[in-house]
Amino acid sequence: MTPGPVARPEGATHRSGATLARSNRRWFWLFVTPFLAGLLVFVYAPLLWSLCLSFFDARNTVTPNRFVGLGNYTYLLADRLFVDSMVTFIAFAVFIVPLTFACSLGLALLLQRITVLRAFFRSAFFLPTAVSYVIAAMVWRMTFFNGARFGLANTLLTSLGLEPINWLGGENSWYWLALVSLRLWLQVGFYMILFIAGLNQIDPQLYEAASLDGAGAWRRFWSITFPLLRPTSVAVSMLLLFNAFQAFDEFYNMLNTVGGYPPYARPPLVYLYLISFGGGLQDLGIGSAGTMILTLVILVFSFLQNRLLSIGADR
Amino acid sequence: MRRSKPGTTLAYVVASVLAVFFLLPFYVIFRNAFSTQRHLVSPQWNWLPDAVGGSTFTDVLTNPGFGILPALGTSAVVAVTQTVLTVVISLMAGYALSRWRTPASKVILGMTVFTLMVPAMVTFVPTFVMVSTLGWISTYRGLIIPVIFSAFATFLFRQQFLEFPRELEESAALDGASVWATFWRIVVPNALGTVAAVGTITFIGAWNAFLWPLLIAQDPSMRTVQVVLSQFMTSQGIRYPEMFTGALIATVPALVVFLFLQRWLVQGVERSGLK
Amino acid sequence: MALTRRTLLTLSGGLAATTALAACGSNTGRTPAPSTAPGTPVASADPSAGRPELAQWYHKYGEDGVEQAVKKWAAEYPGADVSVNWVLADYEKTLSAALLTPTAPDVFEYANGPTLDMIKAGQVEDLTDTLGGARDDFTPSVLERVTYQDKVYAIPQTVDMQLLYYRKDLFDAKGLTAPKTLAELTHAANTVADGSIGGFFAGNDGGVGVLGLLLMWAAGVEEMNEARTQAAFNTSALYDALSGYKELFDSPGMVKSASADWSDASPFINGETAMQWGGMWDLPKVIEAHGDAFDVLPFPAIGGSGRQVVPFGAFSACVSSKSANVTAAKNFVKWLWIDSEDKQVEFSNAFGTHIPAKPKLFPQATKVADGPGASAAQFVTDHGRSNALHWTPASSEAYSTAVSNVIKSGADAAAEFGSAAEKVTAELQRVAG
Repeated sequence: MTPGPVARPEGATHRSGATLARSNRRWFWLFVTPFLAGLLVFVYAPLLWSLCLSFFDARNTVTPNRFVGLGNYTYLLADRLFVDSMVTFIAFAVFIVPLTFACSLGLALLLQRITVLRAFFRSAFFLPTAVSYVIAAMVWRMTFFNGARFGLANTLLTSLGLEPINWLGGENSWYWLALVSLRLWLQVGFYMILFIAGLNQIDPQLYEAASLDGAGAWRRFWSITFPLLRPTSVAVSMLLLFNAFQAFDEFYNMLNTVGGYPPYARPPLVYLYLISFGGGLQDLGIGSAGTMILTLVILVFSFLQNRLLSIGADR
Repeated sequence: MRRSKPGTTLAYVVASVLAVFFLLPFYVIFRNAFSTQRHLVSPQWNWLPDAVGGSTFTDVLTNPGFGILPALGTSAVVAVTQTVLTVVISLMAGYALSRWRTPASKVILGMTVFTLMVPAMVTFVPTFVMVSTLGWISTYRGLIIPVIFSAFATFLFRQQFLEFPRELEESAALDGASVWATFWRIVVPNALGTVAAVGTITFIGAWNAFLWPLLIAQDPSMRTVQVVLSQFMTSQGIRYPEMFTGALIATVPALVVFLFLQRWLVQGVERSGLK
Repeated sequence: MALTRRTLLTLSGGLAATTALAACGSNTGRTPAPSTAPGTPVASADPSAGRPELAQWYHKYGEDGVEQAVKKWAAEYPGADVSVNWVLADYEKTLSAALLTPTAPDVFEYANGPTLDMIKAGQVEDLTDTLGGARDDFTPSVLERVTYQDKVYAIPQTVDMQLLYYRKDLFDAKGLTAPKTLAELTHAANTVADGSIGGFFAGNDGGVGVLGLLLMWAAGVEEMNEARTQAAFNTSALYDALSGYKELFDSPGMVKSASADWSDASPFINGETAMQWGGMWDLPKVIEAHGDAFDVLPFPAIGGSGRQVVPFGAFSACVSSKSANVTAAKNFVKWLWIDSEDKQVEFSNAFGTHIPAKPKLFPQATKVADGPGASAAQFVTDHGRSNALHWTPASSEAYSTAVSNVIKSGADAAAEFGSAAEKVTAELQRVAG
């Protein structure tokens, strides 16, 4: 791979560590303390509490007294439903992360080619971010992918002479189409904005120079855009990965019915939510153990993804 | 940059088709809100609403039994306060984490990123018990304070400041400005794009929040608009027009804020991109 | 980025391990001492009033007028200041979270009464003495669900039941009679259905959630053995019932999606289906829409040892053990749900259709005095079944997962119910311990 045309100004960071003065330390703590204090009280303290619960039989209580050691963990690892759900959503992450990444970057690049009405198109792609998952899922399940005859998708199918489909019913796998399209609609706009910000930081002169050298659009993208976009790409793919494993809202709002959540397309978090919160069930021990396992899986896959992304990258 | 003509035409065609798909759900919310139940569940699909002049909208909005208007007020207070506090707290933390590299800052950065990996559900019940024990049930404190410490926002700001040109700060320091003054006068104005992005996302998250306000707002006068609207969305006694009217009322304020902030956001993005 | 993602992740990984260690050393997950902040409702010993303050929670009833009625009754109670919290959504979640905290309600209702785990965790008070001699007034099968080891933990408010609505006019036109078996129902669904109307609807999950237990009961199969030590449903009679239902599910007369779920009679009212499994609570709306053109039935029998069945249950009032005024809370429950029979009758008559929890009030229950309402009440007497206390939510989840897999994915019934039965037996042994 050709070395990047501009080196990142690394000098600043080396300097700051060495010459950090006493007054700077004071400033550091002044700036960071409000956030740190909040993080400790409202994230880490509850997290420790949850961790403790995961070693107890904690049904309908947050102050349990029956210690079960790793019992909750072994229960879940032997639970076919939990393991199936983990496996399904590892596959889901492998699929949805590159897809969302490509769609968001694609939209950002598309907008770069557009001069007239650019603000309109940008708004159109970004606007869905403002809609709540509850409302968006309502539109999808009741209007677009309604299995009844008055659903939009089924109206289109029958007008083409095809049989209507029971989209979310679970006898087929069409529910993935509904779930993925909903997820993309809600999420790509935000990542697109992050990419636009990243793209705007690339010096336009670089493209002009490359054009003069006769580089086509494809080469310009791989030799200039993609390498220079790397900080944004890394941040986006990391957030996407965390997001994929923590999938919850679009699934829950789309598939939960009066009869409960069906056994298919059940993300680990939905399964654990039902255990620790669901209709009448409140098993905080197993619920906490499950979220700890999930966190561990996310950690492992972050390492793997990090490995994958650093192959061939300039270090 | 000069582009080939057919390529540009194609870009417009693709963008237009995509825009139709992206905007269609908004139209559907509107159509459903201004139709009658019979119209919506009739065997044929209808593109146009049949009750545009209907009274569902004003009924839902003004019925004191539903209490939507006061709930809109509560939601506005919560969302604005939460957004301002989140942005300020994370802006400062994100700046500190990129500006000063000490062992402490590395640990705090690690804690921030780790927080992103932990599903929020883990902390949900213990946090609720804590807040309840503090006596914060049915208060603005309870609705706002536990949710303003955003690892996500801090992480985004920190990423933004990594790219920040140090020369600007240095010249301000030479002019005798303190770190505090430099931060607010030089650094923040140059990060407005990210401020707008984080502010938008936080506002929308706060506006659309459901489970936390549902648990905290036990007193009806503290209910947010999403909690109040949930009564139209429960599965028993579904009436499509009311439900989507509720959805429309809940969505429009977020869209307005969003379009307003977006102008600012785009300017900010363009400016921080100039270098 | 100057700090690479690798070091960043290494750091956070190390941190995770550190926090894990720290956690094991100290915190046992105990709540800090309750504060006496002024906003805390429990600490509301207002000396000037002299009356105890009670918080009472209800879920949001779909029927108009319930909220006003329960608030009016709370205001009428002379013994305490009762404030009603009308929870708009996710009642069970909101309540179960609140029950963990110092701001738990003093009195609350729960569908079918508290769960066994709520009783075992000591979250609800024993109301046996509050009930006293009135115990004989209540329908025994309704009271049984809220009784554990001969102690009563909740007072039934009003009885709800589910039944099959069907369009008599359409059935007559096609020469069909009221289906008494699942085979007859399948035949009827496919005969009556045409392009304009569907045959049978039981929810947008294909009826899996609401009919699961009914398929078992209608086939003459029981959830568990008499001693409540083992699952008893894993039998060939159940497999046959499931394959019978799958035949209906896969047939063209089955309506798998409609404008509302089974708990709302709209699909039946809108003419989307000729038969719908629904709740008796919607009876007034159905009568208004279809007049004499419809009737009601119990769920049909399945197989040789089968029987018709209807499920019933009662929202029941509980007293929280965390209440600062347990005695006052018990007195309030006694006043409202045991002594005030005028209010209990009103609760059954004025909103939707319900059956009083006390047989002696039946003559005053106008909605179930004649017509389909009377048939429905008779079904409860003749064919009524209710959820067993020992059939825990975890058991229910395991069972309905098996039902869904068999009906929707065509999974092997013996394998699915075998593993569900294992889970249920483990659950029964857990709650026995």
